[in-house]
Amino acid sequence: MATEDARYRSSSQYRVWSYSPARLQELRASTNALAKQQIAPHLPADPAPDFVTAEEELRLVQWATVELLRAGEFLGIPTEIRATAAIFFRRFYVTNSVMTYAPTELLKTSLFFACKAENHHMSLGELSSKLQGTTAEQILAGEFLLCQGMRFCFDVHHPFRALEGAILELRRQAPHEEERIRQAHVRTREILKFSPLMTDVYFHYTPSQIMMAALQMVDAGFVDMLIPGSGSGDDTATAAYTQMRDRIMGAIANCRTMLEEEPPSRLTEFWITPMKPLRRKLQKCRDPARLDLVAYQRSKREEALNKEKKDANIADDDVFGGGGSARDTKRRKVDAVEDPFGPAL
Amino acid sequence: MAVSPVVTELSRPATELRAAASPLRSLASGQASSNGTPKPVGALRKNMGGNPPSLDLAEQMNEDEKRKWVKGKKLGEGTYAVVFLGHLRDDPSTLVAIKKMKKVSKDYEEGMSHDAIREVKHLQELQHDNIIALRSVFSSKDQNLNLVLEFLPLGDLEILIKGDQQRKIPGVRYGAADIKAWMGMLTRAVWFCHENFVLHRDIKPNNLLIAANGELKLADFGLARGFADPYQYMTANVITRWYRPPELLFGAKHYSGAVDIWSVGTIFAEIVLRNAYLPGGTELEQVKLICEAIGTPTEDNWPGVTKLRDYAVPSTNPVRGKAYYERTFEILGPEGADLLMRTLTLNPNRRITAKEMLQHSYWLAQPQPTRKEDLPRKAGGEETMGADLKRRPGVVEEDRGSRIARKLDFGAG
Repeated sequence: MATEDARYRSSSQYRVWSYSPARLQELRASTNALAKQQIAPHLPADPAPDFVTAEEELRLVQWATVELLRAGEFLGIPTEIRATAAIFFRRFYVTNSVMTYAPTELLKTSLFFACKAENHHMSLGELSSKLQGTTAEQILAGEFLLCQGMRFCFDVHHPFRALEGAILELRRQAPHEEERIRQAHVRTREILKFSPLMTDVYFHYTPSQIMMAALQMVDAGFVDMLIPGSGSGDDTATAAYTQMRDRIMGAIANCRTMLEEEPPSRLTEFWITPMKPLRRKLQKCRDPARLDLVAYQRSKREEALNKEKKDANIADDDVFGGGGSARDTKRRKVDAVEDPFGPAL
Repeated sequence: MAVSPVVTELSRPATELRAAASPLRSLASGQASSNGTPKPVGALRKNMGGNPPSLDLAEQMNEDEKRKWVKGKKLGEGTYAVVFLGHLRDDPSTLVAIKKMKKVSKDYEEGMSHDAIREVKHLQELQHDNIIALRSVFSSKDQNLNLVLEFLPLGDLEILIKGDQQRKIPGVRYGAADIKAWMGMLTRAVWFCHENFVLHRDIKPNNLLIAANGELKLADFGLARGFADPYQYMTANVITRWYRPPELLFGAKHYSGAVDIWSVGTIFAEIVLRNAYLPGGTELEQVKLICEAIGTPTEDNWPGVTKLRDYAVPSTNPVRGKAYYERTFEILGPEGADLLMRTLTLNPNRRITAKEMLQHSYWLAQPQPTRKEDLPRKAGGEETMGADLKRRPGVVEEDRGSRIARKLDFGAG
């Protein structure tokens, strides 16, 4: 296996979940158009339904992402897993409309599923009891849809580890700058916890590019230290290096421009109030068939069950079931005993 | 008690809604994507003639994925999965195994099982000749998960070693060059996992499947996980007992790729002996076997070991030296014996790593490894692949009772 770049290119984050901005916009426009087309027949025709646009959908997803991050923090879910949940959530809404599936529901499902995907112990019961007015059934109702929307890619590469690496490297290169490094570390991490999750940078840039862009916002000199210029010399190797560096710095600059649209201060400063009109608008154009996800999933299940009965293909669970599940219950108990308090925070 | 910050729904507007779920929605047809990358659905064509109900973009993409494959005969069925033979629609010569995960209701209380999530998560990321390839994932109408895996028809390493008792097929004959070839492929698979920061945590002979071209493939990632951050606890209850390293038997909460290397070492020995090397019937016995066959973990050979939660040993035996390995595993030659000894080092911090294994002189010594096409093989393993895949991924049996019992037992002695 060759370079780290080659390795990243084999990741699902690159293979399945990286798009050009134009392509991403196109996908969102399709999602929005399809949803309208499906929902229109179910809403009163007069006056004509006022659907949210693709741009408005995106704003609603951003708003709900803030809610997701706040809920994740409230639940004591570690930073990286909150970030995973946020990315799951945002990926879901590339090919699903907020008019079809309520973001306020799916954000809980995303948190729950991210905990499972990242080995963070958080039982469904625990989660639903901590989230006001949410049942376990509601959280589960969206799970399958979420997985399908994520195209069954459960691994997310974040920029956090890249930052730790960069900080180690800076400490090595500039041992006398400890305080400046410490501050850059803290402030860059603050940005990474928020801005990349609120923008589309995960769809367009690699984790290390995102990290460099955030670090550049905080202390551009450190980025120059990590990606030094070539100095003088005019041989071909130097030229190639300079060309490569320019490309990298160009990507970092573009990524940075996107991050700067959503600085961490937005988390507390701005979102809630101005969103109300848009949320009301959404309420009026939601898919009536999928307002109640629990009921919707129940009917789907029954449909499938009836079909299965017709197929008369039920026997095996009874034949093998006993031993397997008993053993499995045991295993779950063992796991619970192993980590009564879950991992350290 | 603080109140959850999750917003509640705005009160629903009292608009009258037209009859809910309607059967006849307009239809938009999906477009096939050639390479798994989602294609935007540009044209929202209306399809007359009462075909399937209209689909969301997400559903269309799923349909596109599903339509690439043709499901054939059933290869096997278990509690947790049904396995079908299948092939690529556009190229019937590309065979696959389609593993349809069942939702066992009792397990489904917490939604999709951890095993299924882990298997999909890691196989999506790991592409290597010696790791089973996940070609696609899609959902079927009944909301079940379908994994499209490469078809590996020649059984697994366990069958090559021991034969298939049920079907009365003896194991195959093999020699030093074959062992080297299999071990090389296994080591590369494990190296690749670790290089990608994944611990497999259930390496054993029947998780090593054999492809039509003789290539060995590591399968079953139901217990796998990413490397933990330094502060994070991990469960010690992983890896099937016979292949479980001493640090896990002693209840370590922090561990590394070294756990998989121990499993590789026990398999290495098993291939030579044609019998499980350390077949403990209980955890208690497992520790005893390790102490007898390899040596007793002590503060001398493994500083800190006595601090592990479940540390208890029945007796103090010296650690076996190289001469023992050369004698017992003569067929491996001195280099092979040395490599085996290093994989079975008690102290995980001193155990050889996968990368170091690949750099070992064993691979360069005579004999050269057999070319994969020339490896001894079994015929007709379709049913075996069915059997291998229908098992629940990553189940490690037994409970903690035995560990406590051991503590009491050894504690007294």
